[in-house]
Amino acid sequence: MARWSGPLVAGALVAALTGYGAIAYAPDLLMAAAIRRVAAGGFNRFAHSPLATAASRQIVRPSPDLAYSACPYDISRGSLLIHAVPVAAPYWSLSIFDSRTNAVFVRNGGQAWGKPFAVAITHPGRSVPTGYKRVDVVGDRGIALVRILVVDRGAFPGLDAARRATVCELR
Amino acid sequence: MRAWARYLIGTVAGAALGLGGAVYVLRSAALGNNVVIGPWATGQTFGSVAADPYTRAVVALKGLLALPAQEARYYTAARDSAGAPIEGRCRYRITGAALPAAWWSLTAYDPDGYLVPNAAGRYSVAGAAFPDGGKAGWTILLAPTAPPPGETAAWLPSGGIARVELTLRTYLPSDGGRGNPGADILPKITREAC
Repeated sequence: MARWSGPLVAGALVAALTGYGAIAYAPDLLMAAAIRRVAAGGFNRFAHSPLATAASRQIVRPSPDLAYSACPYDISRGSLLIHAVPVAAPYWSLSIFDSRTNAVFVRNGGQAWGKPFAVAITHPGRSVPTGYKRVDVVGDRGIALVRILVVDRGAFPGLDAARRATVCELR
Repeated sequence: MRAWARYLIGTVAGAALGLGGAVYVLRSAALGNNVVIGPWATGQTFGSVAADPYTRAVVALKGLLALPAQEARYYTAARDSAGAPIEGRCRYRITGAALPAAWWSLTAYDPDGYLVPNAAGRYSVAGAAFPDGGKAGWTILLAPTAPPPGETAAWLPSGGIARVELTLRTYLPSDGGRGNPGADILPKITREAC
């Protein structure tokens, strides 16, 4: 049995390191997979999803009360400029998630006083156009997400049209 | 057996154990189990740089793109107030008080985090479903079938699936996300029948 004490210790050490590594890197892997799913229609453009149903699989735990618009970004070749236009809903927000799942920027409709605003997702050292709120992120890829509370599903067509005023583009 | 072979077996078994253990731990975790209030679990570092690796991994698996605390609080429950798993075939009465937020809703999910299929196409009940936004108290029936006539509680279909997980979202919490409502404020989940 003594001949196995070394391998057992080595195995325990490898188990601990592998377990920690899997937990530490799971967010990156899951975020990368989510970005790929959301970016099925392309990067650096908003995709406006219908209200979530039991068939929705793009993200886990979608809220059926929210209309989601996602701009999966890839800023390896430039900065992403977002022109955000809050819509008339009890809750509206723009949030930006980096490749590590951090919400690096959030502004809701109340904070924006219901007025349009501009955000640039970029890396340190890059310049952004005047008038844009600069958001430096870790990694090239992430997701900018607009959430709109839809209290009455009957009102969704109007909100769906209004939310398309929010756009993102790589420059 | 040669020594190198024993070490190879040990390290391969260790890697498998570590990887399998991590997957098991993450899959069996509730979204946000840093803070437990009655049957509800939550965390205050969702989406935050301050999140520890475990919290970050659980959120990535079970609530990716969750908003930070000042914007929204998420409370999840996989068990009722008596500690038993929430089963889709059973009927539960969920009772709550006024929630300190601008808006709230309760949603039913399957264990993978997807909305529960049901013929009514109803996946959540929001505070707005109650006459005063639920400020005077509210009741939701989580059940596979619609409540009988005369029942005043709002119905949240459970679809009859084996296990149901609930998520209570409170948007724009009145304390700016710095704290949590007490167990007397968060909803009680009482099994009525199976």
